[in-house]
Amino acid sequence: MEQGQQLTHILQQFDDCADFKHIAYPELNVDLLYFDHMIDAGKLSREVLSPLLSVTENEMASALARLTFTIKSENKEIVVAILSGSAALFHGGQAYIIDMYDPKGRAISQSETETTITGPHEAFSEPANSTLSLIRRRIRSSHLKCIRLQVGEVSKTDVYVLYVADIVNMDYVQELIRRIREIEIDAVHDTNMLVQLVDDKPASIFPQFYTTERPDAIASKLAGGRVVGVMDGSPFAFSAPTSLFEFFISSDDYYQRWSLGTATRILRFIAFIITILFTGIYVSVTTFHYEMIPQKLLLTLSESRSRVPFPPVYEALLMETVIELLREAGARLPTKIGQTIGIVGGIVIGQAAVQAGFTSNILIIVVASSAIASFVMPSFIMSASIRLIRFGLIVLAGIWGNLGITVGIAFLVIHLSHLTSLGSSYLTPVAPHKPGDWMDIFIRAPFKLLGKRPSQAKSPNPVRMKPKE
Amino acid sequence: MRNFSSRYMRLPLLLIFAGSLLLGGCGDQRILEQVGLIQTTSYDLLPNGELKIAVAIPRVEAESNQEREVLRTSAPTSKQARIQMSRQTSLQLVSGQLRVTLLGKSFVQAGIGDHLDTQTRDPAISPLMKIAVVNGDAEQLLNQRYSQHPRTDLYIERLLGKESDSHSIPKATLYEFVRDYYDDGIDPVAPMIRRAGENIVIDGIALFKDDRYVGRIPEKDAMIFACLHGGFKQGELGIRLRKKEKSTEAVVLTSLVSSRSIKVTGAGDKMKVAIDMHLNATVSEYIGGDLKLGKPRDLKKLEQKISAYMAAQAELLVKKLQQAGADSIGIGSYVRNHMGYPAWKKTNWGERYPRIEVHCKVKTRINNVGKMK
Amino acid sequence: MPTVKEKLSSFHVLILIYMTQTGVVIISLGQMLAQTFGLNGWLALPAYCIAVTVNLLLIGLIYRMGQGKSIFEIMEQRLPKALLAPLYLALTAVWSMLACLVAIEYVFIFQMIAFPTTNPVWFKLVIDLLAMLLCVKGVYTMSKASTVFFYLTVWMYPFSCLLFHEFSWKRMTPFFFHEGDFSPMGMTGIYTAFLGFELVMLLFGYVERSAKLMKMAIWANLLVFASYMYICLLVFGFFGFGELQHMQFPLIDMFAFVKFPFIERIENMLYGLLLFTMLSTMSMYYWSASEASGRLFTRVKPEYRGLALVAGTFFVGLIPDTLADVNVWLTWLGIAEICISFGLPLFLLALLMIRKEKGKTAHA
Repeated sequence: MEQGQQLTHILQQFDDCADFKHIAYPELNVDLLYFDHMIDAGKLSREVLSPLLSVTENEMASALARLTFTIKSENKEIVVAILSGSAALFHGGQAYIIDMYDPKGRAISQSETETTITGPHEAFSEPANSTLSLIRRRIRSSHLKCIRLQVGEVSKTDVYVLYVADIVNMDYVQELIRRIREIEIDAVHDTNMLVQLVDDKPASIFPQFYTTERPDAIASKLAGGRVVGVMDGSPFAFSAPTSLFEFFISSDDYYQRWSLGTATRILRFIAFIITILFTGIYVSVTTFHYEMIPQKLLLTLSESRSRVPFPPVYEALLMETVIELLREAGARLPTKIGQTIGIVGGIVIGQAAVQAGFTSNILIIVVASSAIASFVMPSFIMSASIRLIRFGLIVLAGIWGNLGITVGIAFLVIHLSHLTSLGSSYLTPVAPHKPGDWMDIFIRAPFKLLGKRPSQAKSPNPVRMKPKE
Repeated sequence: MRNFSSRYMRLPLLLIFAGSLLLGGCGDQRILEQVGLIQTTSYDLLPNGELKIAVAIPRVEAESNQEREVLRTSAPTSKQARIQMSRQTSLQLVSGQLRVTLLGKSFVQAGIGDHLDTQTRDPAISPLMKIAVVNGDAEQLLNQRYSQHPRTDLYIERLLGKESDSHSIPKATLYEFVRDYYDDGIDPVAPMIRRAGENIVIDGIALFKDDRYVGRIPEKDAMIFACLHGGFKQGELGIRLRKKEKSTEAVVLTSLVSSRSIKVTGAGDKMKVAIDMHLNATVSEYIGGDLKLGKPRDLKKLEQKISAYMAAQAELLVKKLQQAGADSIGIGSYVRNHMGYPAWKKTNWGERYPRIEVHCKVKTRINNVGKMK
Repeated sequence: MPTVKEKLSSFHVLILIYMTQTGVVIISLGQMLAQTFGLNGWLALPAYCIAVTVNLLLIGLIYRMGQGKSIFEIMEQRLPKALLAPLYLALTAVWSMLACLVAIEYVFIFQMIAFPTTNPVWFKLVIDLLAMLLCVKGVYTMSKASTVFFYLTVWMYPFSCLLFHEFSWKRMTPFFFHEGDFSPMGMTGIYTAFLGFELVMLLFGYVERSAKLMKMAIWANLLVFASYMYICLLVFGFFGFGELQHMQFPLIDMFAFVKFPFIERIENMLYGLLLFTMLSTMSMYYWSASEASGRLFTRVKPEYRGLALVAGTFFVGLIPDTLADVNVWLTWLGIAEICISFGLPLFLLALLMIRKEKGKTAHA
């Protein structure tokens, strides 16, 4: 019999899968296949199992008609459907696929990596359907399109590409879909991993996709005309195209008064400069350009340097490494122990290192303030990149002083100028020059001045807000 | 974008880049605690024609209990002296933090043109370095420890800085000194200091003709010199309007704002220079006089008195400058700008200057007289 | 990548040409003017600006007559390639050597001030590598980098207002152009400070339709003129003519005067920042050389062409070993470049007027 053959074939496929369920009703000539941990058990018994108990074989047709199902004939399709959380019901030579998918993920919780003070607190969680629902709840428009793709030969991970039709530039959508389709890999485990597979320049230190776990941020990207990607199994969604300056923006800026948002944003740019340059300048000044130190600082500085046995470069690298160790240890440990690490690191190492004459006071201040400044970055990935760049600049400063720092910056600028995100310049709106966007990048102007969508999105419909008459 | 081979082609280049950086540096390091930051230098001329040079370097190391190190040597030139001095110390001597140069009277009398050349040629030396002339031996002044004051070099620097802020001495940094030296219409000036027991005191203003010291203005005339030298925004001036035999009428002006303009009229031998000064001030003290400052008429009288006194003093001072041959207030540049180019080139300004007729006019305005009437 | 090759917009053309023109010369320009033109020598700058504008108008004529085609196309459509080969070689040589010497000059000045004992070859090597990384990425990336470099250096101008209180018109003197030596070498030396504008000829094919290329080039030149004028005026009033004649790098001395509570001697930053403007100039010349040589060696990838040019000039650049030597070389190359900036457009003009395009009938 045909059904028997197909069934045996599929059962063979799931050989040695202890979590696989096969319920047979020989009297009804029905076979039910599913993974019980992937489906909604209540729904299954309500909609399938209990009706089956009360019918005879003749009534089967009408019983089935009441279910929502699709009919699949290909073995491969049936297997994929079962793996994606459907129950397969075999009857009369046909396979009815009934979607029962109910992943038991973590509840929606607060964002851990991108906290804000005002504004929504919820964050995405791992299952894609919860992520999609959070997004759709924010953009209730039939224009919000969602394209499903699969990545990973083994993992078969669902990746959804979302965009708002009429606002998005379809070139970006097609480019992103093309790139995701081109991925040939066994498995993808997180969005941040996925985006590295579709990067323009995989060798670059800078992230070329904006990843976030905040639904409000993603909704604003969608409304701004960008393409968004969501991956099943990851609490992060990504948006593209992005620019360097987008990583300086936090959702909070928009929820606060514009003057406060502006001040915070300027603060972040200052923090960026401090992070990458402060320690470098310390090294450069103490190693080469002693004449740049004002007289009042000179004595303090040379006094604190006088007991240190290493040249400034090594001193600075040492302390920076210690800070990174502290940060990494704090990140890996549970929160409560993490606090202990902070105390041990901050007080014991900092204080003791200075007293032992291992480093200078001033350096501790410099290193600490540049570390703090690096945490001001709203995006964790960008903040980590910047911290790494700092090491390069410290080494350069130790070798060539100010010239070394400038060479380093020149190198960075050259690299950034060449960098693209989905083919659009990473330095937008500075280069290419789009002064209209500066209102929303370097400051956070009042909303009435932010009437246009970001130019990088190249939206066919760039007006965001109707100007008041 | 999948073309990995072309991307990693750049890798060897980056390696060369990093390698050349590592190999290239290190030679010119001047690590803060290993350099001797010269803060003050002094120059004196010895009778045998050699220079006596001393440098003061602050020391902050825990191992040494001295707060500064003073090195001395004599050599034909300052750079040779530097080489000799570096043999005496464990530090690498650098002059990027040089704050004050003390020039002994013996040294400035002989002319310091070559010395200035050396100083400006060195890219390490700051143009903001202060210059001061020592009435006496500069090396001894620097070497002395003044027990009730901070470290000597710091003491001198702060003293000079504070005094020039209140305009009782002109600002004389390397930049200003060299600029005025090269300008053909003005001669440089520098403050003068001298040792007075356990203190260092301001001893007036040293006048230069080109690069040679030609005389000094006593410190009591320093404020009038400041008014003549250019405008300023904040000053203090005590005036003794001696009128009666017994009591001395004196007034002290504060918040002094002064501006001056120089006008040149006539040509050839009939050329006249008029210096107009405007003073704006507050009276903070008025004693020994019979004027009632609350009355507008009396206040006018006081203003006139001050003006007359200042104008007389200024003219005396200008005479003195002319006698010394030092065009310290830059009359030359106004005369130059008044004359045509060929006429200026034909004029021997150095010779013409002492004979030129200069008149001073002062206009005083008292803003207020304090809380009392 | 499906995205169309991006083209330069007006603003980028402006900045690119401005950054190409502005060079290290700016630090000694005041002295050069004082020496060559004497008292109030800064007033000679407008004449240079006018000369450059005339030159630019000439190039603009080519742009219009050639309907925006690249100069190489114009030449190759009218003359056989074999005839053009020596011209291309000469252009490649002059442009790449200029790029190299600009860097050497910078390195020597920098070395004198900050690293007296380090071997300048190392600095040169690193700067060459940076320039190469930049120039092989093409003119669009270069324009973006130049824009960022522009923003990184432009704050020097507002900073200079801290020097105003030492500025005095009195020091300017009311005399004009006395005591200058009016040497031809000095005059060409000052003209080289403006060079870089002629490379606009190579941008013909790379610019958006809407961008008014020649208008922007003229604006860029005016911007350069304004910045030079400002700096030189400041320098003349700050130091006075007498001292200026004796100085080598008045701008550096002037910035050494700037002092903040937390940092002093800003000139140590200044010559670092000059690296940016120098890099823009240098990479633009290397890129032009690479474009010209690309016409001869069509099959060599631009990366390798850039590498070959940088490497080749690097070794030639080892010959001059003092700043004075470099300046002599630079002046001669500057003269060659001035000839190119006037000669090449004239040659193109002649071609456009005399010869019709190959394969086109006269009335087409």
